[in-house]
Amino acid sequence: MTTTTVLQDVAKVGSPRKRGANLWSTFPWPLLPFFLFLALFFFLPIGAVFINSFKNNDGAFTFENIQALFHDPYRMAFLNSIKLGFYSALTASIPGVLLALAIEKKGGKNLKKFIASVSGVLANTGGVPLAFMFLAAFGPSGLATNLFKSLGLDLYSLGFTLFSFNGLLIVYSYFQIPIMIIVFTPALTALRREWRDASSNLGSTPLGYWRHVGLPILAPSFIASFLLLFASAFSAFGTARAMTVGNIALVPLQIGSLLDGNVTIDKANLGYSLALGMIVISLLAMIPYILLQKRASRWQVR
Amino acid sequence: MMNFRKNLDANIALAIAAIFLFLPLIAATEFSLRDGGTEKHSLISYRWILDQSGFSENLGITMRVMALAVILTLVLMVPTVTWLHLGGEKYKRLIDVLTMLPLIIPVVALATGAQLALPGFVHGTVYELSFLYVVVSMPYTYRALDIGMSARPLATLVAAARNLGASWINVMLRVIVPSILPSIFAALFMTITLSLGEFTLAQLLHWNTFPTWITNISQQNILGATALAVGSLFFAWVLLYIFTFLDRQPTQSAVNEE
Repeated sequence: MTTTTVLQDVAKVGSPRKRGANLWSTFPWPLLPFFLFLALFFFLPIGAVFINSFKNNDGAFTFENIQALFHDPYRMAFLNSIKLGFYSALTASIPGVLLALAIEKKGGKNLKKFIASVSGVLANTGGVPLAFMFLAAFGPSGLATNLFKSLGLDLYSLGFTLFSFNGLLIVYSYFQIPIMIIVFTPALTALRREWRDASSNLGSTPLGYWRHVGLPILAPSFIASFLLLFASAFSAFGTARAMTVGNIALVPLQIGSLLDGNVTIDKANLGYSLALGMIVISLLAMIPYILLQKRASRWQVR
Repeated sequence: MMNFRKNLDANIALAIAAIFLFLPLIAATEFSLRDGGTEKHSLISYRWILDQSGFSENLGITMRVMALAVILTLVLMVPTVTWLHLGGEKYKRLIDVLTMLPLIIPVVALATGAQLALPGFVHGTVYELSFLYVVVSMPYTYRALDIGMSARPLATLVAAARNLGASWINVMLRVIVPSILPSIFAALFMTITLSLGEFTLAQLLHWNTFPTWITNISQQNILGATALAVGSLFFAWVLLYIFTFLDRQPTQSAVNEE
């Protein structure tokens, strides 16, 4: 039977079972609820963003919304957000790794459990509560500021302020370092004790072990975690909204104000193209992650 | 000597981390206990919270949204991951990548899209947040369950139960769930922490939840808002502490098995 006759048969009988006999029997049916859920609550909204980015107010096709991204103030906002993502990943990933190593070294089961639950909560803090905590500590009359002052170090006369790019980096690290600990710890536990013993039996120093075994194995996981931190800071909304007073242009904030209807109606669809721009940049940043994860997983006991 | 030095640098790192962790917490706690502009301390700001009409209402909304997200996570993710470990192995790579996507696609973008298009049966009710929280926490919940199941001889357990005549429902509820209970708890823990603190989706989809309520009320009373911030963080920890307490029992039996 040729394909066409099969199709004709199907058209006559109308039975889906025959048309896709192969697909029907090989489709992973137990995964259907999962696929449906993701389709409806993830791909549908994301697809809507994509389509609406190319529409003008009357619903006609246009590139105008996309072109606007390459001009200020949106171009500036994208540059700022990328910069924030990169520096935040840098300032949080290194302490995060050192802490994960320290926790792994100390190794108590209770300590690990405690750190896991603390990190879980902190990784999800943000917004106004986080901003207020930092204001209470590092604000102009904060506890830490006063403490430093009594030690003879006046932070604010040195030009420090929380409401700046660097201030944002400090505040972000409060949730970024815990995220780093959460995502990087599994890589560390995959470093097997035997490898260290083998390397020292072969006459290597601890330094040599790290140079030739530890770092090469951890590097892909590190870069992958780094990129996750980038994505997290790049797209952080609540904290940025609470910490900036319109002095730093960031893409999530611009999307927020467009969605809140704080702007003229002719820019309504610009919010969608800004969101699309964020998606594209996040996906581009993740390409190395996916490639590296493949390499890293070779060494991870799963 | 080696051992001592090893632990010394770990201890120093942990001590610095503890200072960075607790300094804002302590400062905020002290600040929230101030009695107005005076030097005295009192619980006035905490009493103020309880006097706000929105407090119990918005906390209630958040708890209900959280409860639905937890149920959805359980019903959707546990059977899915179980099947991936019991015959669906060749789809694991695909699901690994799919469950990473919500971590990569910015939540702001998801919110933008959710405003445009969501299935009709939830669109326009506050419970749409629950469905979105399941998606956003999926990278963590999936991995927690996956790691838990990888560590158990699930196929053997299931084969044994089936041979003894157990139905699939029985296998699921009385063999699989108990044997991976700690990782189910770990997965739910992620959904709970996310639901308690999530601001972006709630704000951009214009829903009043506990976190958006804190944000709005912070403009009226800074001390009160700080008290709320401290209170909600401790509330999350207490909730999660109870949670780790609950999951102690199964962990114990899991250790005995090995």
